[in-house]
Amino acid sequence: MKQTNIILCGIGGEGLVLLSNIIGETCRIAGENVISGEMHGLAQRSGSVIVHMRIGDEVLSPLIPPGEADVIVSLEVMEALRYIHYLKPGGTVITNKRLVHPPGETLDLVLRKIERYVEYEEVLEAIKSNDANVVEVNALSLAKKADEVRAQNVVLLGALSASLSGSIPMKSFLDAVEETVPKKAVESNVKAFELGADAYES
Amino acid sequence: MSFKDVIDEEEREAYMLCNEAIVRAALEADVQLVSFYPGAPQTEILDNFEKASNKYDLKIEVATNEKVALETVAGGAMLGKRSLTSMKSVGTNVASDALYTLAYTGLKGGCLCLIADDPHAHSSQSEQDGRWFGLTAYLPMLEPSTPREAMEMVKKGFELSEKFGTLVLIRTTTRVNHQSGIVPLGPMKRTPFEKVSWKNMKRPYTSVGELARKGKKEMLERMEEIREKMADSSLNRVEYFDGQKLTDEGGDEEKLGVITAGVAHSYTVEALSRLGSSAKILKLGVINPMPEDVIKKFCQGLDKVVVVEELSPYIEDVVRRLVKDVDVYGKRTDHFSEALEYGIPSVLLGLSEITGVEAPFDYKKHCREMKKHGEILPQRLPVFCAGCPHRATFWALRRAVGDPDKVFFSNDIGCYSMMCLPPVEWSDTLLCMGASMGVAAGVQYAAEEKTIAVIGDSTLFHAGLPGVVNLVHNQDDVTIFVLDNAVTAMTGQQSHPGNPKKAGGREGKKLDIRRVLEGLGVEKIYDISSYEVKDNVPVIKEALEHKGVSAVISHGECALYHYRNYRHDGGKLVPYFIDLETCESVHACVLNFMCPAISVMPDKDGKARIHQDICVGCGVCAKLCPKGAIKSTATIYGGENKPIYTVEDYEKYVEKKEVKE
Ligand code: SF4
Ligand code: SF4
Repeated sequence: MKQTNIILCGIGGEGLVLLSNIIGETCRIAGENVISGEMHGLAQRSGSVIVHMRIGDEVLSPLIPPGEADVIVSLEVMEALRYIHYLKPGGTVITNKRLVHPPGETLDLVLRKIERYVEYEEVLEAIKSNDANVVEVNALSLAKKADEVRAQNVVLLGALSASLSGSIPMKSFLDAVEETVPKKAVESNVKAFELGADAYES
Repeated sequence: MSFKDVIDEEEREAYMLCNEAIVRAALEADVQLVSFYPGAPQTEILDNFEKASNKYDLKIEVATNEKVALETVAGGAMLGKRSLTSMKSVGTNVASDALYTLAYTGLKGGCLCLIADDPHAHSSQSEQDGRWFGLTAYLPMLEPSTPREAMEMVKKGFELSEKFGTLVLIRTTTRVNHQSGIVPLGPMKRTPFEKVSWKNMKRPYTSVGELARKGKKEMLERMEEIREKMADSSLNRVEYFDGQKLTDEGGDEEKLGVITAGVAHSYTVEALSRLGSSAKILKLGVINPMPEDVIKKFCQGLDKVVVVEELSPYIEDVVRRLVKDVDVYGKRTDHFSEALEYGIPSVLLGLSEITGVEAPFDYKKHCREMKKHGEILPQRLPVFCAGCPHRATFWALRRAVGDPDKVFFSNDIGCYSMMCLPPVEWSDTLLCMGASMGVAAGVQYAAEEKTIAVIGDSTLFHAGLPGVVNLVHNQDDVTIFVLDNAVTAMTGQQSHPGNPKKAGGREGKKLDIRRVLEGLGVEKIYDISSYEVKDNVPVIKEALEHKGVSAVISHGECALYHYRNYRHDGGKLVPYFIDLETCESVHACVLNFMCPAISVMPDKDGKARIHQDICVGCGVCAKLCPKGAIKSTATIYGGENKPIYTVEDYEKYVEKKEVKE
């Protein structure tokens, strides 16, 4: 019973739903069964957001049980750690090299309820100490390189596609990107995707 | 997955969100009239129909509330038009007055009402179980588990409704509405909308006294007929899970049975697979009237039957009533909870306890251990968006009130509900749509403190107006705050009666909130602009001092809505920045305002920083900085240091050519 479970996470309003749509389209093009469990609504106001994606003939539940995700893709590093319990032992975390302090943390800092901000490196260490293979991707700089600042999610998609190259053809991903993004942005998004894939390999 | 699949005429497979699939199925079934009030988890149904109405001949309304929406589609169905509404769980409470009587009158045309429950209260004020509406109103109810099933049930629902002349309910939950999957797109056969002659199909839809007693008799007979005719419906199916895979047949010797419905079906099968246990499964699709004979037959020869369903023991109690010689397990035996949503782990745990098969994995222990490393993380709660008018209004309200303990703050449902969450936690009550007004009426009798009632524009029209009428008529002493942000913001900025646009972006009639309140006899009304924070404080104070009903209408468009329009019209965001030479780390911007665009820089003496990718340039933080350290980036490129409030303002700017790259 072969299945692939992917957790996508990040901060509300960052294009997570688009990312899951492209993965869904990819599976349809590749002839794979896919389901996802998404979050819409209140959680989108800069709150923490998670999408469950499941690929395989026998998947039914829209939610991945803890300890069964093959990959976590995170648009922000704290969110990868927040949902780390979904990862299977030895699974892969693809995280954006980026940390965004929640407004509540800033308030606590100013009120001296905490001594300092949480830092990127310590979050990364905490993820690693959970038996995870961590791949860091500087999505912003790669998206800028592709001339599409808003394509950070597509950069991470590229990295994800490289990690799944054994099960889903890269071509299906590319076809899905072309179908999903606006016409005039296809070229730059494809570039962003490729840069992400390269970043995973290296 | 996108809207283009919803209206694609090609018959093929598509990857779709369940809510999109529901719209697709209704369009394929030639639905002619739809009406909704937005609310999670069903809002995308409205959103997709709005878009579809620009292509297809279809009557659509964004209704004032769920009751009006249901009455509207019922009106169409009285004339034989296929019609549909959907509503979130608690919206059905509002609609239920019409719902219960429509079951008595019956309807001519196919008419569907979808009720979207929210186990776990992800985005609702309660975990209400909408299945009881079907049972207690005597209306047929179908429950899908997947987008594919939802499509099938929408189509069958219309047929069922027409065949038996009754409103049909479809019950979903958040995990079904917000599930995406591969679905088949069927043929799109639409007919143009045409008026028909009432005279030719005239019959009374009335119910009172003798008519109600007659209607009740007919309704009971109808439900029995449906129970009989639907007994062998393919929507209820018996499956066999052999420990590895699901089949349609087999398991004649099986001693373990599971009865389930909705998304719990998927958790059940996957839990069995992880346990390696076999079981016969009865998956119910028709959950009212309950297929009693099917259930009895299914249980014959079993030793144990487990009922797996979220929320109340709705199915379980029926099974207990029908089946006496088989042990029934579920919530009544404490193997499953009546609270929260389920998942594979919780169902697996229950099944493992019941069958004695050891769980292959300790999910709880795993989560505990893995989460330990995450203890360093701060919470990331939803907050008002950057540039949100509510944050500005509440800043001024808080200053005008002084000490929060000096008032009773009656809050309502909308983005401003977030006031009751940490870190702000300022709300004394939050119940349901429009309740701020009614609760305030009672509180002002009993509390020594001044009573204030806060309500959004959309919520005011939805259920607030009767409460306002009540306050005025009884000469109560309450100050009302109407947050006029032009849209129903929390659900994704749909229009409402206070917006000039109606469904599908077409021209409607804007109801002016000031004139509405004047018409209702509110004695003192003050209009303020949300972003004029400091100027608003004395105005609010004056309103609070008034004895009797006063109202403050705070005007400021939802920032998401406003800046989307603004950019669509060619506007460029002009973010603010912190002038580090002037900033003295007094942190007024953080302590008093907490815009998500602002953080501090520990390596620069804790001076503040504005994230240019988040700031929309509302300029309020600049007004509040005591040191004058926050400035518009416009000052850098020589533009005017003034925020832009509305699209009209922006247009004036363009005319004067003051907005430059
Ligand atoms: S959606 Fe609009 S009203 Fe709601 S928090 Fe965001 S800006 Fe404010
Ligand atoms: S101007 Fe200030 S308050 Fe307004 S969005 Fe920018 S940082 Fe936030």
